[in-house]
Amino acid sequence: MIAPLGYAIYTSLYTSRIIGGTVFTGAGNYTETLQSGEFWNGVERVIIYAVIQIPVMLAIAFFFATIFDLGVAKWGTLFRTIFFIPFAVPAVVGAIMWSFLLEPQFGPFVHFASAVGAHNVNYFSPSLMLPSIIVIVIWEWTGYNMIILYTALKSVPRDVVEAAILDDTPLWKIILRVKLPMVRPAIVLLIFLNTIGALQLFTEPLILSYFQPNAISLNYTPTLYIYNTAIGGAQYNLAAAAAVVLGLVIVVISVSSLVFRRRGGELG
Amino acid sequence: MSTKTAAGQPAQADTTQAAPKSGRWRRRRRSRPDDPGSDVIPIEMYGLKRGTTTVLTLVCVLFAIFTLTPIAWIVINSTKTQANIFETFGFWFARPFSLFHNFALLGQNIDGYGTYAVWLGNTALYAVLGGGGATVLSAFAGYGFARFRFRGSRILFYLVIAALLVPITAITLPLYLTYAKVHLINSIWGMILPSMVTPVGVYLMRVYTEVSVPRELIDAARLDGAGELRIFFRLALPLMVPGLMTVLLLSIVGVWNNYFLPLIIFSQNRLYPLTVGLGLWAERAQNSGNTELFPLVVIGGLVTIIPLIALFLILQRYWRSGLLLGSIAN
Repeated sequence: MIAPLGYAIYTSLYTSRIIGGTVFTGAGNYTETLQSGEFWNGVERVIIYAVIQIPVMLAIAFFFATIFDLGVAKWGTLFRTIFFIPFAVPAVVGAIMWSFLLEPQFGPFVHFASAVGAHNVNYFSPSLMLPSIIVIVIWEWTGYNMIILYTALKSVPRDVVEAAILDDTPLWKIILRVKLPMVRPAIVLLIFLNTIGALQLFTEPLILSYFQPNAISLNYTPTLYIYNTAIGGAQYNLAAAAAVVLGLVIVVISVSSLVFRRRGGELG
Repeated sequence: MSTKTAAGQPAQADTTQAAPKSGRWRRRRRSRPDDPGSDVIPIEMYGLKRGTTTVLTLVCVLFAIFTLTPIAWIVINSTKTQANIFETFGFWFARPFSLFHNFALLGQNIDGYGTYAVWLGNTALYAVLGGGGATVLSAFAGYGFARFRFRGSRILFYLVIAALLVPITAITLPLYLTYAKVHLINSIWGMILPSMVTPVGVYLMRVYTEVSVPRELIDAARLDGAGELRIFFRLALPLMVPGLMTVLLLSIVGVWNNYFLPLIIFSQNRLYPLTVGLGLWAERAQNSGNTELFPLVVIGGLVTIIPLIALFLILQRYWRSGLLLGSIAN
C-alpha cells in the first residue's frame, strides 16, 4: 500500500515526452494539476454532491433505523432485508438500471413524471444530472447505513429508555435527546466513510456517460479526470500528480471530521 | 478501546438472549435468537396509537417500492427483445418472451467484445480467492493484534487503521503504475492480491476476537501445554467463525462489485470481471451501434446480482444481527 503511493509521488515528478524520453520536471505536474480548472471543477462538484447526498441519505437511514428500533412498523424484519438488497447490487449494474429507468425518451420515469403533470422532463439535463446521481447513490447505500444505525440504536441500554419513559418524556425527545446522542459516534463514522466515498465518485457518472455522453464531461469528477488523463490521454505522470492531490484533499477533509469527533471526546 | 466499544453488546446480547426475560417487556411474537428485534419495548409504552403503526408501515412500503423498482424492471426486461425494451412499457411483460434466448446469448462471444460466461467465471474466481484470502489474513492479523503484545504492535495496528483513510481511487492508479513495472498488468494476481488486503477486516476481527475469545481460555490452554498454533486452530478459530463469516461476506461483495481496479489493470476482455464486461457492453451498445447488446446488458446485469442477493439471504443472520457492521460503527 505504501509502495505504490511512494511510486506515484516519484512518477508525478517526471514527464514523458514523445521526443527526449522521460525527464524530471519536479513540481511541474503539480502546478499543472493545481492550476487545472477541469480538476478543481470536479472537486467542487463532488463537494456539492457530498454536502447534499450524505445528510439526505443519513436522515432517511436514521428515520427508518428508528422506526425498526422502536418496532412501530409491521414486518420490520422483511423491510430491513428489502432495504439492504441494493448493497448487494454492483454500482455498475445499479447505474445501468437507473440509466434505463431515467432515460429521457423511453424511460418509464419520464412517463411517471408526465402522469403527474411534468412533461418532457430530462433527468439527464445538466441541471438534473447531479440530483439524478444523488438519487441513484441514495438507492444504493441507504440500506447499508440504515443497518449500521439500527445496530447502534439497538445497543442503547434499555433501562435508559425505560427511565425516560417513566419520566413522561415525549417520544420525539427520547429519539432526539436520548438515542441520537448515544449513536453519535456511529453517525460521525458514517459521515466519515460516506465522505471518502462521495469524493471518489466515479462509477455512476462513468456508466451514465456511456448512455448520455453529452451530459457528463471527461472531468465531471476528480476521479474521472484522473482516469481519463491516465487511460484516455496516456498522461500518466500528470494523472499520478492529480491522484496524489486528490488523496491529500480527501485525507484533509476526512481527518477533519475525525478531529471533530475527537473534540467531542468520543474517540475510541 | 475494544472492551468499551458497543461492538461487544450485540455479541453479549446473543449469549444472554437465551436467559428468560421478564414477561412484562416481552413482545407478543415468537422470539428469534438472531434477531435483536424480539427485544423491543411495546409501542404502547411510548404513548403511541395503533394508527401510527399503519402510517409508518405505509411509509416503509413506499420506500420498499422505491428500492425494488429497479430490480423489478431488470427482471421484467430480461424477458424482452431489444425492440421491446425500448418500445413497450418498462414495468410490464411483452411478447415474444425471450428470456431463454437472451440467457443463451450469455454463453457466446458477441461481436468479439467477450463472453459473459467467462466473466462470470473470472468474477467467481477473484471473489473466492480474494475474499477467501482476505478472510484468512484478517483472521490471523486480527487474532494476532487482539491476543499478542509484541514490539510495535500498537504502531502496526494504527498503520492498518490509517490505511482506511487512503482513498481507493487515489491508490488504484499508483497501483497500476507499479504493476506496469512488475508485470502484473493483465495478471489475475494484480486483481487478487490487493483484494486480500482489507484493513476493515483486520479491524473487525481484532474487535471480534477481543469479545468472543476470552483471554483466560487461552491462558488456561497455554498452562495445559498447548502450542500457539494448536490454540489458534482448535480453540480460537471456532469461536471466531461468526465474525469470519461476516468478513467473508463483506469482502466477497467488495471483490464482486469492484469496478475501478479491474477496469484499469485489465486490457484483455478474457480477464474481465462482470462489472467491467457489462460496462464495456453498455458503452458499445450505446456508442458503436451494437444495439443487439442491450438485452444482454439487461440479462447480464440480472445474472450478476442474483448470486449476491442469494448469498445475503442465505447468510442473513450474520449481517442482520449486525454483529460486525455495528462494530464498525462503534
